[in-house]
Amino acid sequence: MKADSMQSGRRWTTALTYFFLIVGSLIMIFPFLWMILTSLKSLSESMQIPPTIFPAVYYFSNFKDALTSLPFGALYFNTIVMVFFRVICAILFSSMAGYAFAKLHFRGKNFLFTLVLVQMMMPSQIFVIPQYEMLASVSLTESLFALVFPGLVSAFGTFFLRQSYLGIPNEIGEAAYLDGCNQWQSFVKVMLPLTGTSVAALTIFTAVFAYADLMWPLVVNTDINLMTLSSGLATLKGQFTTNYPVLMAGSLFAMIPMLILYLIFQRQFIEGIALTGGK
Amino acid sequence: MKHTKRIIALVLACVLALALTACGKGGKSDGNLTMQIWDNSQRESMQALADAYHELNPDVTIEVQVTSWDEYWTKLEAAAGSGNLPDIFWMHTNYILLYADNGMLADVTDLYDDDTYSHYSDISIANTQGSDGRMYGIPKDKDTVCLVYNKEMFDAAGVSYPDENWTWDDLTAASQAIYDATGKYGYMAYADDQLGYWNFVYQNGGYILNDDKTAAGFDQPATIDAMKFYIGLQQNDWCPTQTYFAETAPGNAFFSEQGAMFLEGTWNLMAEMKNYPEMQGKWDVAVLPKCPDPVSGDGRATISNGLCYATSADNQDDEIIMGFLKWLGTEEAQQIHSSYGAAISGYEGTEQAWIDAFDQFDYRLNVEACIEMFDYSVQSVNDATRPNWKSKVSDELLKIYSGELGVDEGLANMNTIVNDAIAEGAE
Amino acid sequence: MWKRQSIAAKREQRWAWLMVAPTIIGLLVLNYYPLIQTFILSFSKTKTFGAMEFNGIQNYTDMFATPEFWKATWNTVYFCILTVPVGIALALIVAILLNAKVKFKSGFRAIYFLPMVCAPAAIAMVWRWMFNGEYGIINTIINAKVNWLTNPTTAILACAIVAIWSSIGYDAVLLLSGLQNISKTYYEAARIDGAGPIKQFFSITMPMISPTLFVTLIMRMMASLKVYDLIYMMIDQTNPVLPEVQSLMYLFYREAFVAGNKGYASAIVIWTILLIGVVTIFQFIGQKKWVNYDV
Repeated sequence: MKADSMQSGRRWTTALTYFFLIVGSLIMIFPFLWMILTSLKSLSESMQIPPTIFPAVYYFSNFKDALTSLPFGALYFNTIVMVFFRVICAILFSSMAGYAFAKLHFRGKNFLFTLVLVQMMMPSQIFVIPQYEMLASVSLTESLFALVFPGLVSAFGTFFLRQSYLGIPNEIGEAAYLDGCNQWQSFVKVMLPLTGTSVAALTIFTAVFAYADLMWPLVVNTDINLMTLSSGLATLKGQFTTNYPVLMAGSLFAMIPMLILYLIFQRQFIEGIALTGGK
Repeated sequence: MKHTKRIIALVLACVLALALTACGKGGKSDGNLTMQIWDNSQRESMQALADAYHELNPDVTIEVQVTSWDEYWTKLEAAAGSGNLPDIFWMHTNYILLYADNGMLADVTDLYDDDTYSHYSDISIANTQGSDGRMYGIPKDKDTVCLVYNKEMFDAAGVSYPDENWTWDDLTAASQAIYDATGKYGYMAYADDQLGYWNFVYQNGGYILNDDKTAAGFDQPATIDAMKFYIGLQQNDWCPTQTYFAETAPGNAFFSEQGAMFLEGTWNLMAEMKNYPEMQGKWDVAVLPKCPDPVSGDGRATISNGLCYATSADNQDDEIIMGFLKWLGTEEAQQIHSSYGAAISGYEGTEQAWIDAFDQFDYRLNVEACIEMFDYSVQSVNDATRPNWKSKVSDELLKIYSGELGVDEGLANMNTIVNDAIAEGAE
Repeated sequence: MWKRQSIAAKREQRWAWLMVAPTIIGLLVLNYYPLIQTFILSFSKTKTFGAMEFNGIQNYTDMFATPEFWKATWNTVYFCILTVPVGIALALIVAILLNAKVKFKSGFRAIYFLPMVCAPAAIAMVWRWMFNGEYGIINTIINAKVNWLTNPTTAILACAIVAIWSSIGYDAVLLLSGLQNISKTYYEAARIDGAGPIKQFFSITMPMISPTLFVTLIMRMMASLKVYDLIYMMIDQTNPVLPEVQSLMYLFYREAFVAGNKGYASAIVIWTILLIGVVTIFQFIGQKKWVNYDV
């Protein structure tokens, strides 16, 4: 192949890459633009036929109404606490279990791993009431711990990290073992750092799952000051009528902490790549 | 490092084990009570009651907690099953028989030595009763269903506003006139029981359940006529179809000025005045139009429901909780509750406080009309098996609307569903 | 079978048990205890507040005799077919594009990630708004009047579109983490050998990413067979189109929490788990054909 044809081929590839990325981005971002535009309209304008793109009159008061109708400070705090502890638990326990399932030999391994897999098939709705009853029996409902409770362990995390430990050659662990490390040391010092990107991905996943959890926080905690952003927003929805522009303004506020978390994590994500990049 | 991780794991395992084996909490309340409700727009008035009681009894502090409707019942059921009901909670007629008949609620029939209960209407009392006729809650409020209308659209069509002489014919004629003049919808009739067809059925002299709740009434000519009229309204150009309502609640359609009329419960009026400030002055309320040629009766009816304050049967002897509950039923407490305008207190004579609450707006709604309707109100339809037939009946109704079933066939199915549920419940 | 184990093997086993213990204990308490309860309930006629009596396989025979149940099963499978292949393919494309040398890479990533940081209730709300037959912006853009959410054929399609839209970022992040573990040297070597982008994709990217792709597939498949929230929030219970889109877990919700039929609802859950189990077993068998673990 000639050098210049490769050059132009690459230029075409780059142009196509940008084209698809931009078109995709527009589709991804459009609902959010619509959300912002709607949050600035009056209720009647938001339902006008045909719809207007830009608000005729800008209702910034929707944002003020959203802010006053929910204790956003407490909601931010609770959401962050819940996400933080669920992520810590998921990473800690899933790394341990994932490593053991991938690299160690022990009796009962297949059976126990089946337990992990089958958990992933269970719909979470069946856990709500039994888990609520467990917490209620020790008077731990209406607490921050209650928000973390269902996320203490993660079957998905275990499965996911097992998969990434499987991708690490056995020789690496064996080398560490021969250097005099015990299983724990070779896990913590050698293997764990090699799963950087997967841990970063799991962090994002766990955070998002926790953040999206709607039913559990609403059932286990009733005090609005102990709710999370997603569930707090749900209390704004009336039984009969709902002021959607205000609800959309509230939803935009609710996105802020996760967006910040992501932006922080974006860096972690790239650093995680740096850790494994030398492979 | 490695030790701390193992310790954390151990502690966690202990907590989990504890959660499984530990027993439920027991003993009496310590003066810190929780009160659970589902309506965010009534948080303020509940807090006012809590504060007022705290003023009188400094040892008792009540915390008000709000959950959304669906989760409220999921949670309450789980709590009831595990003996962890909140100290005080709202009870709805949809569920009271379920809870009361299963012995979940404290009996408050003999709570008062005086004639406090005589200040409540028979309907208010009936809404708190279990199937055994005992009272399992202190009446909190009472409501009626009223006609909400858009004045501007009436003006544009040159139609006079609804008044107490209005009949179903005026309703349809005005709807047509508004549609012709403005292109907006007229009366928005949708698949709902309490805020829809029940009112029409009872106005026509029909019924959903007979008086002793042993049989359904969907086979009664008066019921069938009224149902046909109500369902048929969607055949008109001026009424949106059920597919429209599946996407847009009638309340939202009304307050975004897409339609001129819908039926609304009195408990929403205050929230609607506050939530839609730009609509103030453009709409008002009226009594329901009457049936022009009822099979029996005078053609007037409106469905009246009411909530109550309840507590767990475990608290039957808890003086602190029963004390608060007892106070909630007094004229003083009911007066405070009414004055917030969200719901009309059950205590007779406190209606004026509710009416006066609407004076805070520049445009004063004609809320007297809502009170007026108590004279001919009908108790909200209920029996112990309603949870079993409610959603099935509404599924049948949707099939009629979608054309999958003919009206006669659908009504016959509804009748069978309710009768079967009653028969099964009687076993 | 008891095999003689060396001391080293025994020590390894002890470590292994210790390391899986927190997860397994947690799963037993948090998830298996409820599952067993559900299983018992599925053979019981439930009354209110925990009271119940054994009624054998009555719930299952009732369930299999109900057309509504079969319809819900089909809806669930159909939803899975609609969302999983397209969703994963799009996510893979996005991941590969985001892994290429482009400017504003972090900006693009943030955009594709946006749906994940938005509360699900808000996502459903804004899409309902856009899909609205009367004043929805989508109808304005395509200049047609489609009743997206109330027409039987389009309603499930609309739900699938939202599901794909909100999961692309999710899956792309997973796949991206797999892509980034592929060393650049492979591509350089391939390029020197004169392999074009397409050849590189099939001979390097696909085999190397297959373990991650497998996880993504398993996860997305399970999630779509368990779908409930999204349909619940997009399709009201008063929407006449509900029977056409109702998934198994939606049916479960209506039976358990609205109608109060806990026993019957539990049978639906057990059926759903079995369904997911069968699909997953096939995937694990199938993976041997295409997933590559020799790194």
